[in-house]
Amino acid sequence: MPLETDKNDFEASLKPVWMRAQQGDEAAYREALEKIASRVRGFLRWRMQAMPDEIEDLVQETLLALHLQRGTFDPGMPVSAWVTAIARHKLVDLWRRRGRRDNRHDALDDVDEELLVAEPAEDGAQRDLDRLLRELPEVQRQAIVLTKIEGLSVSAAAMQTGISESAIKVQVHRGLKRLAQWVKDTGS
Amino acid sequence: MKTQLFIELLAKRAGPAPRAPVLQRMAPAVAAGLFVSALFALISMGSIPAAMYETPAPWMKLIYGASLALAAGWLTARLSRPVARTRWPVLAVLAVFAVMLGLGFLTWMVAAPEQRMAALFGDTWLTCPRNVVVLSLPALAGALWAVRGLAPTQLTAAGFNAGLMAGALGAMGYALVCPEVSATFVAVWYSLGILLTGLLGAFLGPRLLRW
Repeated sequence: MPLETDKNDFEASLKPVWMRAQQGDEAAYREALEKIASRVRGFLRWRMQAMPDEIEDLVQETLLALHLQRGTFDPGMPVSAWVTAIARHKLVDLWRRRGRRDNRHDALDDVDEELLVAEPAEDGAQRDLDRLLRELPEVQRQAIVLTKIEGLSVSAAAMQTGISESAIKVQVHRGLKRLAQWVKDTGS
Repeated sequence: MKTQLFIELLAKRAGPAPRAPVLQRMAPAVAAGLFVSALFALISMGSIPAAMYETPAPWMKLIYGASLALAAGWLTARLSRPVARTRWPVLAVLAVFAVMLGLGFLTWMVAAPEQRMAALFGDTWLTCPRNVVVLSLPALAGALWAVRGLAPTQLTAAGFNAGLMAGALGAMGYALVCPEVSATFVAVWYSLGILLTGLLGAFLGPRLLRW
Protein backbone atom coordinates (compact mmCIF):
# COMPACT_ATOMS: atom_id res chain seq x y z
CA MET A 1 0.00 0.00 0.00
CA PRO A 2 2.29 2.81 -1.15
CA LEU A 3 -0.41 5.42 -0.56
CA GLU A 4 -0.85 4.44 3.07
CA THR A 5 2.88 4.54 3.67
CA ASP A 6 3.02 7.94 2.05
CA LYS A 7 0.28 9.16 4.37
CA ASN A 8 2.04 7.77 7.42
CA ASP A 9 5.32 9.32 6.37
CA PHE A 10 3.65 12.66 5.94
CA GLU A 11 2.02 12.45 9.35
CA ALA A 12 5.24 11.29 10.99
CA SER A 13 7.21 14.20 9.52
CA LEU A 14 4.52 16.77 10.23
CA LYS A 15 3.28 15.93 13.71
CA PRO A 16 6.38 16.84 15.77
CA VAL A 17 6.86 20.08 13.85
CA TRP A 18 3.20 20.91 14.25
CA MET A 19 3.24 20.25 17.99
CA ARG A 20 6.19 22.62 18.38
CA ALA A 21 4.31 25.20 16.32
CA GLN A 22 1.26 24.87 18.57
CA GLN A 23 3.52 25.75 21.51
CA GLY A 24 4.49 29.00 19.78
CA ASP A 25 7.64 28.07 17.83
CA GLU A 26 7.44 30.42 14.86
CA ALA A 27 9.99 28.66 12.65
CA ALA A 28 8.29 25.34 13.24
CA TYR A 29 4.95 26.90 12.38
CA ARG A 30 6.32 28.22 9.10
CA GLU A 31 7.77 24.83 8.27
CA ALA A 32 4.52 23.06 9.16
CA LEU A 33 2.49 25.46 7.02
CA GLU A 34 4.80 24.84 4.08
CA LYS A 35 4.38 21.10 4.38
CA ILE A 36 0.64 21.51 4.76
CA ALA A 37 0.38 23.90 1.81
CA SER A 38 1.96 21.46 -0.59
CA ARG A 39 -0.20 18.67 0.77
CA VAL A 40 -3.38 20.72 0.39
CA ARG A 41 -2.31 21.80 -3.09
CA GLY A 42 -2.03 18.15 -4.10
CA PHE A 43 -5.39 17.38 -2.54
CA LEU A 44 -7.10 20.24 -4.37
CA ARG A 45 -5.35 19.85 -7.71
CA TRP A 46 -6.85 16.43 -8.06
CA ARG A 47 -10.32 17.69 -7.22
CA MET A 48 -10.34 21.06 -8.98
CA GLN A 49 -9.30 20.10 -12.48
CA ALA A 50 -12.15 22.20 -13.83
CA MET A 51 -10.90 25.38 -12.20
CA PRO A 52 -7.09 25.27 -12.09
CA ASP A 53 -6.80 29.03 -11.69
CA GLU A 54 -8.48 28.92 -8.34
CA ILE A 55 -6.47 26.17 -6.70
CA GLU A 56 -3.95 28.52 -5.16
CA ASP A 57 -6.68 30.84 -3.89
CA LEU A 58 -8.24 27.93 -2.10
CA VAL A 59 -4.89 26.71 -0.76
CA GLN A 60 -4.47 30.10 0.88
CA GLU A 61 -8.05 30.20 2.08
CA THR A 62 -7.50 26.80 3.68
CA LEU A 63 -4.28 27.96 5.32
CA LEU A 64 -6.00 31.03 6.72
CA ALA A 65 -8.90 28.98 8.07
CA LEU A 66 -6.47 26.54 9.59
CA HIS A 67 -4.53 29.37 11.20
CA LEU A 68 -7.65 30.94 12.69
CA GLN A 69 -8.85 27.58 13.99
CA ARG A 70 -5.56 26.10 15.13
CA GLY A 71 -6.92 25.96 18.66
CA THR A 72 -9.46 23.34 17.58
CA PHE A 73 -6.74 20.82 16.79
CA ASP A 74 -7.08 17.78 19.01
CA PRO A 75 -3.58 16.45 19.90
CA GLY A 76 -5.03 12.95 20.06
CA MET A 77 -5.76 13.02 16.32
CA PRO A 78 -3.52 13.00 13.24
CA VAL A 79 -2.70 16.49 11.95
CA SER A 80 -3.20 15.31 8.37
CA ALA A 81 -6.78 14.24 9.07
CA TRP A 82 -7.50 17.61 10.63
CA VAL A 83 -5.94 19.46 7.68
CA THR A 84 -7.79 17.35 5.14
CA ALA A 85 -11.11 17.92 6.89
CA ILE A 86 -10.59 21.69 6.70
CA ALA A 87 -9.51 21.57 3.04
CA ARG A 88 -12.52 19.45 2.17
CA HIS A 89 -14.84 21.82 4.04
CA LYS A 90 -13.42 24.77 2.10
CA LEU A 91 -13.71 22.91 -1.20
CA VAL A 92 -17.35 21.99 -0.59
CA ASP A 93 -18.02 25.58 0.35
CA LEU A 94 -16.43 26.74 -2.90
CA TRP A 95 -18.59 24.38 -4.96
CA ARG A 96 -21.65 25.64 -3.17
CA ARG A 97 -20.77 29.28 -3.78
CA ARG A 98 -19.81 28.60 -7.34
CA GLY A 99 -23.04 26.73 -8.00
CA ARG A 100 -24.99 29.72 -6.82
CA ARG A 101 -23.03 32.24 -8.78
CA ASP A 102 -22.93 30.26 -12.00
CA ASN A 103 -26.67 30.01 -11.92
CA ARG A 104 -26.85 33.76 -11.99
CA HIS A 105 -24.30 34.22 -14.76
CA ASP A 106 -24.97 31.52 -17.25
CA ALA A 107 -22.69 33.00 -19.90
CA LEU A 108 -19.69 30.87 -18.97
CA ASP A 109 -20.12 28.58 -21.95
CA ASP A 110 -20.11 31.48 -24.40
CA VAL A 111 -16.72 32.80 -23.43
CA ASP A 112 -14.03 32.67 -26.07
CA GLU A 113 -12.06 29.50 -25.45
CA GLU A 114 -8.78 31.37 -25.77
CA LEU A 115 -9.58 33.42 -22.71
CA LEU A 116 -10.01 30.31 -20.62
CA VAL A 117 -6.50 28.99 -21.12
CA ALA A 118 -4.85 29.00 -17.73
CA GLU A 119 -1.90 31.25 -17.14
CA PRO A 120 1.10 29.20 -16.16
CA ALA A 121 0.37 29.94 -12.53
CA GLU A 122 3.53 30.24 -10.53
CA ASP A 123 2.40 29.44 -7.05
CA GLY A 124 0.49 32.67 -6.67
CA ALA A 125 -3.11 33.43 -5.87
CA GLN A 126 -5.16 35.86 -7.86
CA ARG A 127 -6.25 38.05 -5.07
CA ASP A 128 -4.19 40.93 -3.97
CA LEU A 129 -3.39 41.35 -0.29
CA ASP A 130 -2.98 45.12 -0.47
CA ARG A 131 -6.43 45.51 -1.89
CA LEU A 132 -7.91 43.24 0.78
CA LEU A 133 -6.09 45.05 3.56
CA ARG A 134 -7.50 48.37 2.43
CA GLU A 135 -10.98 47.02 3.12
CA LEU A 136 -10.21 46.55 6.82
CA PRO A 137 -10.90 49.05 9.59
CA GLU A 138 -7.79 51.12 10.23
CA VAL A 139 -6.93 49.62 13.63
CA GLN A 140 -7.07 46.05 12.31
CA ARG A 141 -5.13 46.92 9.17
CA GLN A 142 -2.46 48.64 11.21
CA ALA A 143 -2.11 45.73 13.64
CA ILE A 144 -1.68 43.28 10.76
CA VAL A 145 0.74 45.45 8.82
CA LEU A 146 2.93 46.13 11.85
CA THR A 147 3.19 42.60 13.22
CA LYS A 148 2.63 40.41 10.21
CA ILE A 149 4.23 42.39 7.39
CA GLU A 150 6.79 44.62 9.04
CA GLY A 151 7.46 41.91 11.59
CA LEU A 152 7.45 44.06 14.71
CA SER A 153 7.06 42.20 17.98
CA VAL A 154 3.67 42.51 19.58
CA SER A 155 5.05 44.73 22.32
CA ALA A 156 6.78 47.03 19.81
CA ALA A 157 3.57 47.28 17.82
CA ALA A 158 1.71 48.09 21.01
CA MET A 159 4.19 50.83 21.81
CA GLN A 160 3.99 52.34 18.35
CA THR A 161 0.19 52.41 18.22
CA GLY A 162 -0.42 53.18 21.86
CA ILE A 163 -2.82 50.29 22.40
CA SER A 164 -2.22 47.30 24.65
CA GLU A 165 -0.51 44.09 23.60
CA SER A 166 -3.60 42.00 24.06
CA ALA A 167 -5.56 44.52 21.99
CA ILE A 168 -3.01 44.13 19.18
CA LYS A 169 -3.45 40.37 19.24
CA VAL A 170 -7.21 40.71 19.21
CA GLN A 171 -7.11 43.17 16.30
CA VAL A 172 -4.81 40.91 14.27
CA HIS A 173 -7.12 37.97 14.85
CA ARG A 174 -10.24 39.97 14.04
CA GLY A 175 -8.62 41.43 10.94
CA LEU A 176 -7.62 38.01 9.62
CA LYS A 177 -11.05 36.70 10.42
CA ARG A 178 -12.68 39.53 8.58
CA LEU A 179 -10.41 38.94 5.59
CA ALA A 180 -11.43 35.28 5.59
CA GLN A 181 -15.11 36.18 5.76
CA TRP A 182 -14.73 38.80 3.06
CA VAL A 183 -12.88 36.45 0.72
CA LYS A 184 -15.57 33.83 1.31
CA ASP A 185 -18.48 36.19 0.66
CA THR A 186 -17.12 37.81 -2.46
CA GLY A 187 -15.20 34.83 -3.79
CA SER A 188 -12.52 37.22 -4.98
CA MET B 1 0.04 36.87 -3.73
CA LYS B 2 2.53 34.06 -3.51
CA THR B 3 1.62 31.34 -1.12
CA GLN B 4 5.12 31.35 0.35
CA LEU B 5 4.69 35.01 1.26
CA PHE B 6 1.26 34.29 2.70
CA ILE B 7 2.75 31.58 4.92
CA GLU B 8 5.38 34.03 6.17
CA LEU B 9 2.56 36.39 7.00
CA LEU B 10 0.55 33.82 8.92
CA ALA B 11 3.50 32.47 10.85
CA LYS B 12 5.04 35.79 11.77
CA ARG B 13 4.43 36.61 15.45
CA ALA B 14 1.77 33.93 15.49
CA GLY B 15 2.48 32.89 19.06
CA PRO B 16 1.11 29.71 20.58
CA ALA B 17 -2.25 28.30 19.55
CA PRO B 18 -5.19 29.54 21.60
CA ARG B 19 -5.89 27.19 24.49
CA ALA B 20 -9.24 25.50 24.94
CA PRO B 21 -11.11 27.73 22.47
CA VAL B 22 -14.06 25.35 22.48
CA LEU B 23 -14.62 25.63 26.22
CA GLN B 24 -13.98 29.35 26.11
CA ARG B 25 -16.80 29.91 23.66
CA MET B 26 -19.26 27.30 24.90
CA ALA B 27 -19.13 28.08 28.61
CA PRO B 28 -20.44 31.67 28.42
CA ALA B 29 -23.10 30.63 25.90
CA VAL B 30 -24.35 27.89 28.24
CA ALA B 31 -24.28 30.09 31.34
CA ALA B 32 -26.04 32.99 29.63
CA GLY B 33 -28.62 30.70 28.00
CA LEU B 34 -29.50 29.02 31.28
CA PHE B 35 -29.69 32.30 33.15
CA VAL B 36 -31.92 34.04 30.61
CA SER B 37 -34.16 31.03 30.29
CA ALA B 38 -34.64 30.67 34.08
CA LEU B 39 -35.20 34.39 34.49
CA PHE B 40 -37.72 34.55 31.67
CA ALA B 41 -39.58 31.50 33.00
CA LEU B 42 -39.81 32.92 36.54
CA ILE B 43 -40.93 36.35 35.37
CA SER B 44 -43.48 35.20 32.84
CA MET B 45 -44.96 32.18 34.63
CA GLY B 46 -44.05 32.50 38.29
CA SER B 47 -42.16 30.02 40.44
CA ILE B 48 -43.63 26.76 41.67
CA PRO B 49 -44.48 26.79 45.41
CA ALA B 50 -41.38 26.44 47.58
CA ALA B 51 -42.82 23.31 49.19
CA MET B 52 -42.50 21.53 45.87
CA TYR B 53 -38.73 21.59 46.20
CA GLU B 54 -39.15 19.14 49.08
CA THR B 55 -40.60 16.63 46.61
CA PRO B 56 -38.49 14.85 43.98
CA ALA B 57 -40.40 16.32 41.00
CA PRO B 58 -38.41 19.52 40.26
CA TRP B 59 -35.12 17.80 41.09
CA MET B 60 -35.85 15.01 38.66
CA LYS B 61 -36.43 17.58 35.90
CA LEU B 62 -33.35 19.58 36.82
CA ILE B 63 -31.13 16.51 36.94
CA TYR B 64 -32.51 15.28 33.62
CA GLY B 65 -31.90 18.69 32.03
CA ALA B 66 -28.43 19.06 33.51
CA SER B 67 -27.28 15.56 32.51
CA LEU B 68 -28.59 15.99 29.00
CA ALA B 69 -27.07 19.47 28.69
CA LEU B 70 -23.71 18.03 29.79
CA ALA B 71 -23.84 15.07 27.41
CA ALA B 72 -25.13 17.07 24.44
CA GLY B 73 -22.69 19.86 25.25
CA TRP B 74 -19.82 17.38 25.24
CA LEU B 75 -20.98 16.08 21.85
CA THR B 76 -21.44 19.60 20.49
CA ALA B 77 -17.94 20.49 21.62
CA ARG B 78 -16.58 17.45 19.79
CA LEU B 79 -18.55 18.37 16.67
CA SER B 80 -17.10 21.88 16.78
CA ARG B 81 -13.76 20.49 15.65
CA PRO B 82 -13.02 19.59 12.02
CA VAL B 83 -12.40 15.93 12.86
CA ALA B 84 -14.85 14.77 15.49
CA ARG B 85 -14.54 11.75 17.77
CA THR B 86 -18.17 11.30 18.67
CA ARG B 87 -18.59 7.74 19.89
CA TRP B 88 -18.58 8.26 23.66
CA PRO B 89 -20.55 11.50 23.76
CA VAL B 90 -23.20 9.98 21.45
CA LEU B 91 -23.53 7.08 23.86
CA ALA B 92 -23.79 9.51 26.76
CA VAL B 93 -26.65 11.42 25.09
CA LEU B 94 -28.48 8.19 24.28
CA ALA B 95 -27.94 6.93 27.83
CA VAL B 96 -29.52 10.04 29.36
CA PHE B 97 -32.57 9.71 27.11
CA ALA B 98 -32.77 5.99 27.82
CA VAL B 99 -32.69 6.46 31.59
CA MET B 100 -35.41 9.13 31.50
CA LEU B 101 -37.63 7.14 29.15
CA GLY B 102 -37.10 4.02 31.27
CA LEU B 103 -38.03 5.91 34.41
CA GLY B 104 -41.12 7.31 32.70
CA PHE B 105 -42.15 3.88 31.51
CA LEU B 106 -41.68 2.32 34.96
CA THR B 107 -43.78 5.05 36.56
CA TRP B 108 -46.47 4.38 33.99
CA MET B 109 -46.34 0.64 34.64
CA VAL B 110 -46.64 0.88 38.41
CA ALA B 111 -49.41 3.49 38.30
CA ALA B 112 -52.93 2.26 38.87
CA PRO B 113 -54.71 1.97 35.50
CA GLU B 114 -57.10 4.82 36.28
CA GLN B 115 -54.17 7.13 37.08
CA ARG B 116 -52.19 6.44 33.96
CA MET B 117 -53.82 9.11 31.86
CA ALA B 118 -53.08 11.70 34.53
CA ALA B 119 -49.46 10.53 34.77
CA LEU B 120 -48.99 10.83 31.04
CA PHE B 121 -50.90 14.01 30.23
CA GLY B 122 -50.96 15.91 33.53
CA ASP B 123 -52.73 19.25 33.17
CA THR B 124 -50.24 20.97 30.92
CA TRP B 125 -49.12 18.53 28.20
CA LEU B 126 -50.37 20.86 25.48
CA THR B 127 -48.19 23.77 26.57
CA CYS B 128 -45.16 21.99 28.02
CA PRO B 129 -43.22 21.20 24.80
CA ARG B 130 -43.93 24.65 23.43
CA ASN B 131 -42.72 26.32 26.62
CA VAL B 132 -39.56 24.23 26.64
CA VAL B 133 -38.84 25.24 23.05
CA VAL B 134 -39.49 28.93 23.70
CA LEU B 135 -37.34 28.93 26.83
CA SER B 136 -34.57 27.20 24.87
CA LEU B 137 -34.25 29.92 22.27
CA PRO B 138 -31.75 32.11 24.17
CA ALA B 139 -29.52 29.09 24.79
CA LEU B 140 -29.93 28.02 21.16
CA ALA B 141 -28.82 31.42 19.93
CA GLY B 142 -25.85 31.31 22.29
CA ALA B 143 -24.90 27.75 21.35
CA LEU B 144 -25.07 28.45 17.62
CA TRP B 145 -23.00 31.59 18.11
CA ALA B 146 -20.41 29.56 20.01
CA VAL B 147 -20.20 26.77 17.45
CA ARG B 148 -20.16 29.21 14.56
CA GLY B 149 -16.90 30.70 15.80
CA LEU B 150 -15.31 27.24 15.91
CA ALA B 151 -14.78 24.77 13.09
CA PRO B 152 -17.63 22.28 12.66
CA THR B 153 -17.67 20.27 9.44
CA GLN B 154 -20.87 18.28 9.99
CA LEU B 155 -23.21 21.22 10.17
CA THR B 156 -26.54 19.44 10.55
CA ALA B 157 -25.24 17.21 13.32
CA ALA B 158 -23.57 20.13 15.07
CA GLY B 159 -26.77 22.18 14.83
CA PHE B 160 -28.90 19.29 16.08
CA ASN B 161 -26.74 18.72 19.14
CA ALA B 162 -26.43 22.41 19.88
CA GLY B 163 -30.24 22.32 19.79
CA LEU B 164 -30.41 19.36 22.17
CA MET B 165 -28.13 21.13 24.59
CA ALA B 166 -30.18 24.32 24.36
CA GLY B 167 -33.38 22.31 24.76
CA ALA B 168 -32.02 20.70 27.92
CA LEU B 169 -31.10 24.14 29.31
CA GLY B 170 -34.56 25.44 28.43
CA ALA B 171 -36.07 22.43 30.20
CA MET B 172 -34.09 23.34 33.31
CA GLY B 173 -35.55 26.82 33.18
CA TYR B 174 -39.03 25.43 32.71
CA ALA B 175 -38.56 23.03 35.64
CA LEU B 176 -38.66 26.05 37.94
CA VAL B 177 -42.23 26.87 36.93
CA CYS B 178 -43.76 23.55 35.85
CA PRO B 179 -46.39 22.07 38.22
CA GLU B 180 -46.26 18.49 36.88
CA VAL B 181 -44.95 15.72 39.12
CA SER B 182 -44.95 12.52 37.07
CA ALA B 183 -41.80 11.05 35.53
CA THR B 184 -43.90 9.76 32.64
CA PHE B 185 -44.92 13.31 31.84
CA VAL B 186 -41.32 14.52 31.91
CA ALA B 187 -40.06 11.60 29.84
CA VAL B 188 -42.57 12.31 27.08
CA TRP B 189 -43.30 16.03 26.94
CA TYR B 190 -39.99 17.48 28.14
CA SER B 191 -38.18 15.16 25.76
CA LEU B 192 -40.46 16.21 22.93
CA GLY B 193 -39.71 19.89 23.56
CA ILE B 194 -35.98 19.14 23.69
CA LEU B 195 -36.11 17.12 20.47
CA LEU B 196 -38.03 19.90 18.71
CA THR B 197 -35.30 22.35 19.72
CA GLY B 198 -32.78 19.85 18.35
CA LEU B 199 -34.62 19.74 15.04
CA LEU B 200 -34.69 23.53 14.92
CA GLY B 201 -30.92 23.48 15.45
CA ALA B 202 -30.49 20.87 12.73
CA PHE B 203 -32.45 23.09 10.36
CA LEU B 204 -30.44 26.19 11.25
CA GLY B 205 -27.05 24.44 11.35
CA PRO B 206 -26.27 24.32 7.63
CA ARG B 207 -27.55 27.89 7.27
CA LEU B 208 -25.75 29.54 10.17
CA LEU B 209 -22.67 27.48 10.95
CA ARG B 210 -20.62 27.96 7.78
CA TRP B 211 -17.13 29.30 8.22
